Parts: sequence; structure tokens; C-alpha cells
Amino acid sequence: MQKRIRRRYAAERRFKFMGLAAVVLSAGFLAFLLVTMLSNGLAGFSRTEVALPIDFPAAKLDVTAKQLQNRGADLALAGAGLDEVVDKAATAAFGEQGIDIISDRAWTEVREALKSDPTLLSRKARIDVPVSQDVQNALDGGGKPAMRAIVSGMQAKGLFSNKFDFGFLTSADSTDPTNVGIWGALKGSLFTMLVTLLIAFPIGVLSAVYLEEYAPRNRWTDLIEVSINNLAAVPSIIFGLLGLAVFLSFLNLPRSASLVGGLTLALMIMPVIVIASRNAIKAVPPSIRDAALGVGASKVQVIFHHVLPLALPGILTGTIIGMARALGETAPLLMIGMRAFIAQPPEGLTDPATVLPVQIFLWSDQVSRGFVERTSAAIIVLLVFLLAMNALAIYLRNRFETRW
Amino acid sequence: MYGRLTVIAATAIALTGCSQDSSRDYMKIVGSSTVYPFSTAVAEAMVNTNPALKTPVIESTGTGGGMKLFCGGVGVQHPDVEDASRRMTPNEFAACTQNGVNGIMEIQVGMDGVALAESKKGPKLELTRADIYKALAANPMGKPQTAKFWSDVNPSLPHTPIQVFGPPSTSGTRDALAELILAKGCKEVDPQAAKLEETDKDAFKERCQRIREDGAYVDKGENDNIIVQNLTVSPNAVGIFGYSYLEENRDRLNGVPINGVAATYENIADRSYPGARPLFIYVKKQHLNAVPGMKQFLNQYSQMWGPDGPLVAKGMIAAPADVRANSEKIIEQGITITADTLKDDELH
Repeated sequence: MQKRIRRRYAAERRFKFMGLAAVVLSAGFLAFLLVTMLSNGLAGFSRTEVALPIDFPAAKLDVTAKQLQNRGADLALAGAGLDEVVDKAATAAFGEQGIDIISDRAWTEVREALKSDPTLLSRKARIDVPVSQDVQNALDGGGKPAMRAIVSGMQAKGLFSNKFDFGFLTSADSTDPTNVGIWGALKGSLFTMLVTLLIAFPIGVLSAVYLEEYAPRNRWTDLIEVSINNLAAVPSIIFGLLGLAVFLSFLNLPRSASLVGGLTLALMIMPVIVIASRNAIKAVPPSIRDAALGVGASKVQVIFHHVLPLALPGILTGTIIGMARALGETAPLLMIGMRAFIAQPPEGLTDPATVLPVQIFLWSDQVSRGFVERTSAAIIVLLVFLLAMNALAIYLRNRFETRW
Repeated sequence: MYGRLTVIAATAIALTGCSQDSSRDYMKIVGSSTVYPFSTAVAEAMVNTNPALKTPVIESTGTGGGMKLFCGGVGVQHPDVEDASRRMTPNEFAACTQNGVNGIMEIQVGMDGVALAESKKGPKLELTRADIYKALAANPMGKPQTAKFWSDVNPSLPHTPIQVFGPPSTSGTRDALAELILAKGCKEVDPQAAKLEETDKDAFKERCQRIREDGAYVDKGENDNIIVQNLTVSPNAVGIFGYSYLEENRDRLNGVPINGVAATYENIADRSYPGARPLFIYVKKQHLNAVPGMKQFLNQYSQMWGPDGPLVAKGMIAAPADVRANSEKIIEQGITITADTLKDDELH
């Protein structure tokens, strides 16, 4: 008897331990992911700059201070050969290898500096410009030995500075890892999510309300219910093909646009919203409906005054889960051309755009190694976006939750 | 409440109803993932020197996938330029003509090599085209594929399992592998296949160019960095990708010489490396004046493709001087191709 009791306790303990082990394992994976992302990615938010002395009066740039305040400033400076001036300044300051030390796009940084302060034209100035990927590699302890020697010499003189890279948060894709930014993809994601929400939320909630409150229970509604459950489990790539066939080939909407991406993702998350909303509506006690109908409310009044407010926390949770899934989705967007190199942030819903997960995918395929850090930094931005959405969901749920 | 619902519904309908503008002020480029880094670099340089232009939108779809879009027709919704890591096939040209795409300019922008590589810890393979054919074909010499180890293919090779990571069938790199290495290796070892090429093209392809599907060749998608990462963790595997990825990862990978010729810049540039192949862009002449920036884009390409140019720094191999001169002539005079041009299979 004692032996059997001991065995029973041991089995209990084993089960409890297994559960704990499962939790620890998943927490471990999560911690590993976060630690690697943060350790790789934090460097992606900063960039190394080098102080480049430029003698503007000696360079004899063929532009006037007035031209720099006009709209044509970019054109004027490109025409005046600013890039050559910057290259010459680099050679003068850092020797033969000077051009390899500064980034190919360093001159655009000088251009911005000139535009914001045209008085620079009449004096010598030191402007912080980004370093090239070769120098970055050397600073990280890799790269070519010749470059490492030059860089360690310059480091001793304290020419480098490490700064938070605001450009990463304000610009779009580029071919040079020292110049890329996430804003284009972030804006594309925002536009896409907006379209998805505007389409999927009203249609999903309306279908749920109809199915729960109005539809008769017969073979047809059963069929619809089964189809919705099936649709929720269809792999996302199939929605991509659907979007390609319907929105691009049939409706002739523009390829790579966030409008089409949003529509496709709306199709994908609609079943999730319908199922969540139906469950939330079902959970509203029938007594509340009966009471409202009893005091003479119409069906529409019952739904809008009583059922939906009570079901709202559940509906919102379902919607946010669906939206979070849509935010992380890549496969269907590849089919409709959102995997392109897009170097300017989209201005409207029909402009070519890309989204955060696709941008991460694109950067992970880049030849240049500087993109590794940038990819991790982009993942951090995506995770922060996701956390913000989930936090909003929790806030809304707590705000509207009623207990009885 | 109703008012708000109507607003939402109206927005939804307006969104679905709005269709494309009749004009487009940016270029659309599709195609090869191998040419993608060069076209993006050119696009960026073009916008830096002409800030009034919008940056072209460049999508990497693989050469084959891009050709389908490019040949889809003429008009704003169809791409203007196709990046190709192989020549357009006569079938693709026919599809283009059928859809009203008349006047395609073929511009060779540079060279690339199909590189075979292994980890630094690998067995230091040295292969011939015939070895690669025997190891990778689905039906070498008309018989079902049975080779499991490199030593099964050629006794002088090490006894390590055949495990190859390579691009998918939409990729131009895969087509180049089939044409430059498998088909040639096949003709070397199988005299019947050479005869087959003249009588029955499909049977020749089946016998010489189809790649085995039993798991020894693993298709890793268009993402070449994934192949590089896989190679560093599986030292016995061989990876197939464009030369620029080998160059960028020389500290982690060794190139596998083919027929005793290593994949280096010089060997690809003088075409002694068997995997050397030309890179093209195809341009719709009908769009040349309609889409802003196309001429600037082509001129920018020709400024950047020289042996000391920025594209070489990005991993491309410059084409020989006569080819570059010819390409410049095509851009200047707007020379288009005909079905006959494509029949000439030789690299130029």
C-alpha cells in the first residue's frame, strides 16, 4: 500500500517536473533569440563616422549660397562635382587610401551639411561622414590586413566616433550597409496594416454578428462554418497566389503596392477575426439579450448596445492576433511583388512599398557583410512594433472588459 | 453608429475601386538575383547624380520568373528592364513578340562565374565537368543515378557523400550550371548524347541537364547567403552560387576548381574558367521614351561597368573591352534583337 502511494506521488512529481521543463525550454529559446538579436542588432543602430576636413574655398565649388537654399540644391551640387571634391579631401586627409576609408555615399552627407548651413562654403570645416564597410570590418577585427593597419593608426589619433544612426530610422533601403534605413519598410508595414484593418475588421465582425445573431441553423450555415475554419488554416502562400490572380491580373492594381498587400493579408486574417468574434459573441450570456428584448429593444439595438460592447474585448484580441500574424507575414507578399529594392519611402497606398519582414529577408540575402548587423537591428524594430501592438491589445481588453 | 459604419464601408469600397495611374514616373526592373546587386547600385548612383529622378523599383525574381513578367506585355504595369544571368531563350523571345513586346535591346553588362565552393575544412575537391555531370544528373548516360559518394563517380576523388546545395529551377545560375557544366560534361563522357542533341532536344535535356531529385542536390532558394551559412556547418558539402558570394566569403570558403581551373577574377574574365557566363540586361525599347530615367539608367550602367568601375568592387567581373564597346553601341543606337540573334549560342 505504502509503496503504491509513493509511486503515485513520484508520478505526480514527474509530471509537474515535465511541465516545468517545457516552460524552461521555451523560455530558454526566447532568451537565446533575444540575446543574439540584441547583441548583434544594437550595433546596427549606430554607425562609425570619421571627421573629414574639407577646405571649401579652395575646392572652388561652382555654387552660390543662394542656390543652396533653393529646391535645385541637390542638382546644383551634383553638377558642381561635389563627389570629386569629397574624394580629393579624403585623399588629402588620409593619404592614398582615403577614398576607401569614407563611404561611397559620404558626399551626400556633405551635401546635407552644406544645405543646412550654406556659410560652410566660405570656410574650412570638419564634417563627420560615415566610414566604408572595409573600415567597419577592420574596426570589428576582420577585413583585409592592410586596411587593419591603416585603421589602427587612425584609431590611435582618435579620428573615429561612434554615433547613433538617425538615418537608420529615417531613410529607406540602399545598397550600402552604412546608408540603409528601416523607415521605408516601416511605413510600408503601417500602410499595409491600415488597409488590412480597414477591410478585415468590419467585414469579419459583420459576418460574425450575422452568423451568430441572425443566421438560421441549417446545413448551409454549417457548411459556411466549416469553410471558415478551413480557411483559417490555409497556408498563407495560397492567399498570395489568390492576390496575384485577383488583384493584379484581374483588377489590374499596381504591383508591389501596399494596397494590394493589405487586401491580400485582409483575406488571410478575415477567418481568424470571424472565429474570434463569433466565440466572443457566443460568450455573451443569453439572459442579457433576453432582458434587452424584454424591455422592448430592437434586434439592432440589442446588438449595438449590449452584445458588441460585451464582446468587444474578445473581438479586439482576435483582431490583434490576426494583425500580428499579418505583420509578420512574408510569403504572400513575395507573390505580389513586395520584395523589391525600394529606395524611397512610399507616399501613398499605390506607391511601391515593402514591409518589415520582407526587408529583413532581403537584407539577409545581401552580399556585403555589414548587412548582418542591420538585419538584426531591423528584427528589433519589427519586435518592438509587434510588442506595441500586443500592448495596445492588452490595454483595450482591460479597458472594455466587464465582469459579472 | 450607422454614420460611422457607412464611412468605413465607403472607405473600403473606395480602396478596392481605385486603380492604377495611367503613367508611371519610376522604372520597374525585375529578374536575376545575381544581377540584382549591380542594378541596385547603378540605380542608386543614377539618383545621386540626377536627384530629380525617382529610384527604380528593382525586384529579384530569378531570370526565368522575371522573363515571364517582362514578356507579359507593353504598358505601365509591365517591367521596363529585365536582369538576366543567362541569354533570353528563343521561346521567351517568342512569348515577348506574341504579347506585343517588339524591340528588345540586349545589353551585356559584365561577366559572372558559376562558382562551386566548399568549407575551408572541406576535403579540397577538384572536379571535372564530367565528374559534376555524373554526380548531379538525374540519369547519367541514360541510366538511373546511383552515385552516393564522390568516389563512386571517380575513384580518385575522396570517399565523402555527395551533398550539393544549389539554386532552384527559376534561377539563371541553375540554367548556367546545366548549360555550361552539365551539358558539356555530358557530351564529353557520352558520345550518344552529342548525337541526341541534334535529333531530339528534349531527350538531350532529360539525359544531360536534368538534376537529380533524390536529396543529394538540395535546392536552397534564391538566398545565396543561406548556402554559404550551410557550407560553414557542413564541411563535406559543395555549394553552387554566383562568383561574388565566393569572393566575399574567401575567408570561410574554398573555391572548387573545375577542370583544373580555379574560379578567380582573371580566369572568368578571359573565359578559361568553365563556369564563366555573361550577365545581361534586356530593355524594352517601347518604354525608352515613355518612362523617365531609362536612358540615364543605361548610361549610368555603361559608366560603371569598366574594369576599374564600382560594379567590379561589388563583385562583378568586367566584360572584355570589345564586348563593352559593342554594348555601348547598342545603347547609343538603340539596336534591338531578332529571333536570329538569340540562336547564336556562343558567349560574346
